[in-house]
Amino acid sequence: MKLNKLKVGFLLAIVIIFLLSSCVAVKEYEKVYVNDADMKLTANKINKFETSFQVYREAASGANGGKAGGGCGCN
Amino acid sequence: MNKLIIALLFFTSLFFAQEKQIDTVFKKRVLEKTEVDFLMSYYTQDGDHAAVTGGIGTEKLTDITPTFIVAIPLNDDDVLTADVGISAYTSASSSNINPFDGNESASPWVESSGASAADTWVNGSFDYSHSSDDRNTIWGANLSVASEYDYFSIGFGGHLTKLFNQKNTEVSLKANVYIDTWNPQYPVEFRAGFIPDAGYTTNYTEFDKLGRNTYSLSASISQILTKKMQASLFLDVVQQDGLLSAPHQRVYFADKPDFFIDSFHIADDVERLPDTRFKLPIGMRLNYFINEYLTFRSYYRLYTDNWGITAHTAEIELPVKITRSFAVIPTYRYYTQTAADYFSEYNTHLSTQEFYTSDYDLSKFNSNQYGVGLRYTDVFTKLKIFKLGLKSIDLKYSNYNRSDGLKANIISGGVKFVLD
Repeated sequence: MKLNKLKVGFLLAIVIIFLLSSCVAVKEYEKVYVNDADMKLTANKINKFETSFQVYREAASGANGGKAGGGCGCN
Repeated sequence: MNKLIIALLFFTSLFFAQEKQIDTVFKKRVLEKTEVDFLMSYYTQDGDHAAVTGGIGTEKLTDITPTFIVAIPLNDDDVLTADVGISAYTSASSSNINPFDGNESASPWVESSGASAADTWVNGSFDYSHSSDDRNTIWGANLSVASEYDYFSIGFGGHLTKLFNQKNTEVSLKANVYIDTWNPQYPVEFRAGFIPDAGYTTNYTEFDKLGRNTYSLSASISQILTKKMQASLFLDVVQQDGLLSAPHQRVYFADKPDFFIDSFHIADDVERLPDTRFKLPIGMRLNYFINEYLTFRSYYRLYTDNWGITAHTAEIELPVKITRSFAVIPTYRYYTQTAADYFSEYNTHLSTQEFYTSDYDLSKFNSNQYGVGLRYTDVFTKLKIFKLGLKSIDLKYSNYNRSDGLKANIISGGVKFVLD
């Protein structure tokens, strides 16, 4: 029950963040900061090996923009 | 009148010239030049809960993984990416699929030297993507193949991305199917020719279905929140069916007599897990550009599945730009999970159960991972090796500690080149 509340809270927080931002449009010439290499919304390529061993050593996987399962005798 | 016509033609030609120029300026190539990444990692781990020996025994493992990723622009709009890698590993626990083929007395704490002590995993994945002229739509398809001694996988899928709201919002959909097949390597005591002690009985039967299919549907939305902050939300829906047990992982029953050869406990069965699994991970990234020296990168994931596992993952990266070219990237990751319904420790399962495993990867634990990365970037690719211009060098070390005693270290390196 506590976990369900946590999940609902997490989802609500995300929805609110995205709704609040939906009316904001940062112009192309204002994107110098969000276009910085460190601001990419993906994991760095070098982290692929760490993700790989985590998929083997932990039960959870997916929801990181990469593979969500399959392709190995892991989880 | 003639002057008017000439003026009109002049301005019309200027207009079309301008139109043409706009087209030329704004249709930038998706990828300017071929990029080549050479990546490599060296991984070591050790622990006391090997799944191959039923939840006790050495988990010592080393793994080295050279990988090439090549992204080739086919034209202004299309990119082909190939990711080809090898993972060569030695595993003490895998060696104990047959613990009696070494020179030492058999024990779950001693690695054997047989054929299963080492293996090579070979992987190739290929992705084609096409961007629309306005760069607001990207679609593509991918194909992957992976093979190791006891496992073969072929996967395929497609993806679609739409950008809108002046490219402030990005929505992606991805679907993938993996068709996998086991070549099961059962523990030696279950193979023909093995002569057990008198009185030894087992629940063991071979698995009749060796396939494992994975169907995944992924959706993500990315949003620029302010000039310095952006976030993305990921949702995966994953359905697996087929042989989800690992056929070489032993299980011991508390209600069966124990039989040993040397110090090695002869198994009662291999793990048995349900033949379906539904997974639902939800993840979120939030990045904030603090200043020109420091960026805050964060990731959180909530995971749940119908095997009774709930997991949380939280990760923070703080890239610090020391100079224009050098950056130091400290990272911290925390992970916690509940146990699968079918997990129990060594020699505690009952033979009357339908499903059972002593694989500690499915137990309740938490883990802490600390890391530090170094990055060198040369935007002008001044250093040349033949026709390859060096764009960046990455190096990272991470230390991983799991609450059940498993410890791991990984060193990763990557060099990126641009083909002139």
